Amino acid sequence: MKVLMKQIEMIAWFNLGDYPVPLRYRITSEDYTNRVVKIDKILFREEEKLAGNRMILYRCESIIDNIQRIFELKYEISTCKWYLYKM
Amino acid sequence: MSRIIFHIDANSAYLSWEAVYRLQHGAEIDLREIPSIVGGDEKKRHGIVLAKSIPAKKYNIITGESVHSALQKCPDLVIVPPNYERYINASNSMIDLLSQYSPHIQRYSIDEVFMDFSNTDTYYLDTAYEIKDRIKKELGFTVNIGIGPNKLLAKVASDFKKPDKVHTLFSHEIAEKMWPLAVENLFMVGLRTKSKLNSRGIYTIGELAKLNRDYLYSWLKKPGLLIWDYANGIENSDVKGKSPPIKSVGNSTTTAFDVETSTEAHKVLLALCEMVGMRIRNLNSCGSVISVGLKNNNFIRYSHQRKLDIPTSSTNTIYKNVVSLFNEVWTNEPLRHLSVSISDISSDEFFQLSLLENYNKRDKILDETIDKLRFKFGYNSVIRSCFLHSGINPIIGGVMMEEEYPMMSSKL
Repeated sequence: MKVLMKQIEMIAWFNLGDYPVPLRYRITSEDYTNRVVKIDKILFREEEKLAGNRMILYRCESIIDNIQRIFELKYEISTCKWYLYKM
Repeated sequence: MSRIIFHIDANSAYLSWEAVYRLQHGAEIDLREIPSIVGGDEKKRHGIVLAKSIPAKKYNIITGESVHSALQKCPDLVIVPPNYERYINASNSMIDLLSQYSPHIQRYSIDEVFMDFSNTDTYYLDTAYEIKDRIKKELGFTVNIGIGPNKLLAKVASDFKKPDKVHTLFSHEIAEKMWPLAVENLFMVGLRTKSKLNSRGIYTIGELAKLNRDYLYSWLKKPGLLIWDYANGIENSDVKGKSPPIKSVGNSTTTAFDVETSTEAHKVLLALCEMVGMRIRNLNSCGSVISVGLKNNNFIRYSHQRKLDIPTSSTNTIYKNVVSLFNEVWTNEPLRHLSVSISDISSDEFFQLSLLENYNKRDKILDETIDKLRFKFGYNSVIRSCFLHSGINPIIGGVMMEEEYPMMSSKL
């Protein structure tokens, strides 16, 4: 996986648990086309507090262009921003 | 029973916090592994080195020197701007982690913490390594931990070899570990004291420790006794949970251009008064000594102060006094640095009014309202119209939350 750290638009589910659940995201590529990716499965979730900045890391799995791919998403609590961290 | 004190010191704090933050946000380069510094903006004449990486240290770059001279020593130096909010977060996360080990914690500065580890069942060295490794793993930066029987020796120990190390310095180790060090490494021995001591042939802490105490008193008076005690490892202050009460509130600025007219100077002073006023009101206090400090383009400093009959926290009153102090003392030369401070602080719950001075209750209401608006909608939501198109920031100076931004102190 390569580090991308690209900000994405996200639909997430804030349920009664401790962490939001990412459902689907939209990413704008360099040629300004949008692509929506549905998150099929969250493999694991981890909270990090590096330098005191809380972020939740999700490793997820989805079918993109008929290929099953694994990627990592990050949610930054202080700014409420979602990122596609690695793909 | 003898005490066990830890001193936890983040290694090149600002720089490593910035590096970790950047790595967390996908940066490919770790600032700690290349020559890099955290530094101010040279164009605004704020260009000094605030923190440096260990590779930058190899180029003899020292904290506090100008960015310009650092660049001459290492032309490929990477310079990143400071971000205090991030540093506070990183520092708080370190405190949170340490609070899991002992209730007696003193935040000595933003990157240094004392912790009293006496009277615990666990072996202190194991805990020290555990803390060091947890900070590294969970928070992403490295610390040095010094362990000693008092705060002084713990602090000296944490300074031994960096980074990511645990050192001990107990009384029986002083002769071996501390006495061979150069005398300027001792806490409270600065440049001036160092040259005084060197002039009489004292170059190491050991040489200082072996001097006659009375001789040192007759020469350096009370501070001499203090450093003699320190050189012998004698120090017994407590790990204080609370920071000492604030004695004064002040802000200063180095202007991006020389201030040459009184109108401009008044505006800069007003902008400083805005910040000082907000801060003192935020502390629910007021002060009665107001002072103005100036530094001219030849780097000569001077200041002027006045005691008021009624303590105040009103921006307008502070500004009125600041202007009259400024007019009394300024000799029309270009200025590069201006400061405003207020001291002799008391609570603002009640105070004696004077028949001879004006006191307008509506001033207080106005200040309170403006403060509320600024906290809610940002500092620049309400500004004075005189700053429009003036090129001067309407509020100058930092540090809004004193409790959250621990200042350096010369007291352990």
